[in-house]
Amino acid sequence: MAIVVNLDVMLAKRKMKLKELSEKVGVSTVNLSILKQGKVKAIRFSTLNSICLALDCQPGDILEFVE
Amino acid sequence: MVSYKNINKLTININLYLFYIIFTIIFVLNSKIDYMKYITHKPTLRDIRIWIALSVLIIFPFLIGNYLEPNSPILIVTIFLIVGFFIFNLIIRKSLSFTNYFTSKYNLLTSKIRSEKTFDISKELMFEKIIEVIKDSKFKLIEADKDRFELLAITPISFTSWGENLYISFETRGNETIMKFCSSTLFQIYSWGKNEKNLTDLLNEIENSLTI
Repeated sequence: MAIVVNLDVMLAKRKMKLKELSEKVGVSTVNLSILKQGKVKAIRFSTLNSICLALDCQPGDILEFVE
Repeated sequence: MVSYKNINKLTININLYLFYIIFTIIFVLNSKIDYMKYITHKPTLRDIRIWIALSVLIIFPFLIGNYLEPNSPILIVTIFLIVGFFIFNLIIRKSLSFTNYFTSKYNLLTSKIRSEKTFDISKELMFEKIIEVIKDSKFKLIEADKDRFELLAITPISFTSWGENLYISFETRGNETIMKFCSSTLFQIYSWGKNEKNLTDLLNEIENSLTI
């Protein structure tokens, strides 16, 4: 897949656990794990918004296009 | 001279037959089977099961109406066997130990729908994911075996359904997880398409749940 998800990098930078993010965002840890692996079919703007808010980052910090 | 008792018995028999004839016609029309194909193709196990159901529908009322008295021991034993079989299925349905009994292709007394789905997500993660999806669906999660990666979910008995058991197993092939679904009716030779619909709905819910 050309879109790479850098959620684990951002989590490491913020020293945050997946469970902590899950509680802040309101998305289950299972769904975040699948997102972290880049296996989701799509991501809602509302979810992206909540993740960016919780991690204090930009969407580009989480999603990256690699050729 | 025809007695009052005989006329009464005849009326009951006619009513019983009318009911079964209408029921059988609806059954045949709803079964969506291309009956002409049997001229060229061998019948499948599913077809044989439907034929057995049809035969029972025709023969059973005929036997009751013509040969058995209402208090006949054979009739009482038959009714006890049917009720006993139902209760037996009802008791064992909530256990993964009886998966083989319900899902076996040789169990001709339950209708089964099988389906497979492949995802490039790890087995452990997919197992948790499916539990989440089932909890939000019309199915009720009964048992989850984390060691054998097997799930059992059911739909309850209602006025419109005898209920069904859904067995899900997980297998790993390379980087992919193969999920095998088997939906079995509890006490029904033919499911009238309800099993297929419920399973298709669940598969759609699984697909949709991958949008977070």
